[in-house]
Amino acid sequence: MNEDYLLNKNILLVDDEQELLDMVLSILIEYGFQNVKTAKNLKEAMEQAEKSRPELAILDVMLPDGNGFDLMERLKKSGNYPILFLTARGEDDDKFKGFGLGADDYIIKPFLPKELLFRIMAILRRSYKDENPLVYLHDSQIDFSRAEIIKNDEHIPLTAKEYDLLSALYRNAGRIVTIDTLCGAAWGNNPFGYENSLMAHIHRIREKIEQNPSQPVSLVTVRGLGYKLIVEGK
Amino acid sequence: MKSISKLIRRFVGIMALSTILFSILNIAFFGIVFVRNTSTFSPWDMAGYAAAALQLTDYGYSISDDVMAKLKEQNAWAILIDNDTRQVEWQTDNLPNNIPMQYTLSDIAELTRGYVDGYPTFTGKAQDGLLVLGYSKDRFWKHTRGSWDYNFIANLPKNIIIILAINTALIFLIYVAANTKMSRSIRPIMNGIQDLSSGSPVCIKQNGVLYELAEKINKTSEILQMQAEQLRKKETARANWIAGVSHDVRTPLSMIMGYAGQLENSKNLSETEQKKAAAIVKQSNRMKDLINDLNLASKLEYDMQPLTIKQENAISIVRQVVVDFMNMDIDDKFPIEWKTSPTLSVCYINADKDLLKRAIANLIQNSINHNENGCMIYASVDDDNNTCMICIEDSGIGVSDEQIDKLNNTPHYMVCDTNTTEQRHGLGLLIVKQIIKGHKGKILIDHSEYGGFKVALIIPK
Repeated sequence: MNEDYLLNKNILLVDDEQELLDMVLSILIEYGFQNVKTAKNLKEAMEQAEKSRPELAILDVMLPDGNGFDLMERLKKSGNYPILFLTARGEDDDKFKGFGLGADDYIIKPFLPKELLFRIMAILRRSYKDENPLVYLHDSQIDFSRAEIIKNDEHIPLTAKEYDLLSALYRNAGRIVTIDTLCGAAWGNNPFGYENSLMAHIHRIREKIEQNPSQPVSLVTVRGLGYKLIVEGK
Repeated sequence: MKSISKLIRRFVGIMALSTILFSILNIAFFGIVFVRNTSTFSPWDMAGYAAAALQLTDYGYSISDDVMAKLKEQNAWAILIDNDTRQVEWQTDNLPNNIPMQYTLSDIAELTRGYVDGYPTFTGKAQDGLLVLGYSKDRFWKHTRGSWDYNFIANLPKNIIIILAINTALIFLIYVAANTKMSRSIRPIMNGIQDLSSGSPVCIKQNGVLYELAEKINKTSEILQMQAEQLRKKETARANWIAGVSHDVRTPLSMIMGYAGQLENSKNLSETEQKKAAAIVKQSNRMKDLINDLNLASKLEYDMQPLTIKQENAISIVRQVVVDFMNMDIDDKFPIEWKTSPTLSVCYINADKDLLKRAIANLIQNSINHNENGCMIYASVDDDNNTCMICIEDSGIGVSDEQIDKLNNTPHYMVCDTNTTEQRHGLGLLIVKQIIKGHKGKILIDHSEYGGFKVALIIPK
């Protein structure tokens, strides 16, 4: 699937250390991001946010004239876009989990470029749906905007549960998603005891997306653990 | 409290023993004094003896010389009162002057019972009269009105027993009263000492018999609390120091990892240079893990990482960790096989989800770190009645019996106060041990049936 449109998104990068700023910038630019703006403190960040209308902000927690959490609140007032934190403090882990400050994700330093890029792409994918919403599978396509499958020129509607399950699988396309995560996506916070229902739904999804549902190629089982959605070109 | 009743029993024993001992001693003492202060003869016997020795001869009455000598020896005088005339018929030479020579019946009754002019007198029946023996005034004390109520004598045994019983009861009451007061003073001190041993702060009221002891215990508690506080401060400072260092290292390490990561994939570099960059990435990644481990291990060691225990499904936790590793293992060098029974989908335990995930991840990472050429990893969850057993095994190179013994028994250098020069195992397993300890569980390290290493975590439900 073509994700190039995500590389055009405006990104605001805020960190008080120039060298780290340069490094993250070089990682993003090398990957193909074209509109990255940087700021070294709260004041600069606010100015940049007004000028460039960011679509993703990557914030450090410690800033010379305030902290990243305050900055996030102020940024959220001017526009609703995803925010990713970069933090050097392990203790912040609890803060993010406990308070649900509205951050979309956080990365604890030090991090690998691959990890940073993966997280950024995941957030962007979640927040900005493709103008061309078709997801290409081996034998069919998923149209999330219409909640249907297109197989052999036939449009097959998805039920709400099937849509939830496919979304969860697609967000992690190419990776195993555990039975528990899938049950959580379809049945909420207390997902235990739905495994048989999950198997039934997976079976019905396969009938819709696979040419030969008994030998699936797009939605494969990882025995005892979960399922993996294989998207063409990914 | 057990010890108090023991104390009371001991007191009662000592009291009974000392009462018996005192009684015996007193009786013996009284006996000795009585024997010492009483003449070897009875004055009544002496009177009878003298009366028998008095003979009427042709020259009048006479007494044998040896009886006379005895009377003199005892400083006693004697008279003989005639039965008919009631006049003194015979007398010893040492008769005091004011002793009457004529007696009426009532005089005789009086002197038999008591005294003549203050001299204690004793009588003996002579041939024709009454022999009266007199001693010096301070020689004897006579009981002149000797009569006892019959009932008094008849009831004496019963009364003695009643008096003894009352005495015993009284002594016991006095003892109980005294002891209650004592134990009232002792109880807070006993409680204080018990609290001391449990490490909680102690403040006993400083009054009563044992106020000095209370004061000392309060002081000891203060010292202990102060020491504990100092130790806690020291440990906090140590953990904070580790946290601070690891925080400061994070940003520079980010730069190293970031640039090395870029170089690793740079198309402008030759393959050898890319490999060098990959080595930098790999090693800085190790440093990152080490910093995280060091920080977590020190926090767990000094109880600065409180466990958030909730009811969790152990299977779901292990499954997530396994899947995370499988998603990362792109070249499929370390395939993981899920060995949990398909019929088991839920195994509830009380656990800190994140820490338990960390423990399992550490075990899988251990298998990966120690088997550079790749190996199969096996993960399973088993549900016993009261416990949940999580097993991570591998088909890798494994370890020797000696090493297993060492892993099970040697403390890590972080928690060891002896020398640290000897090579010890990494922090990964220490963290697993700490986390499992926090869950009140057990950890078993052994050979795996698949040929490699096996670690089983047993967590109570």
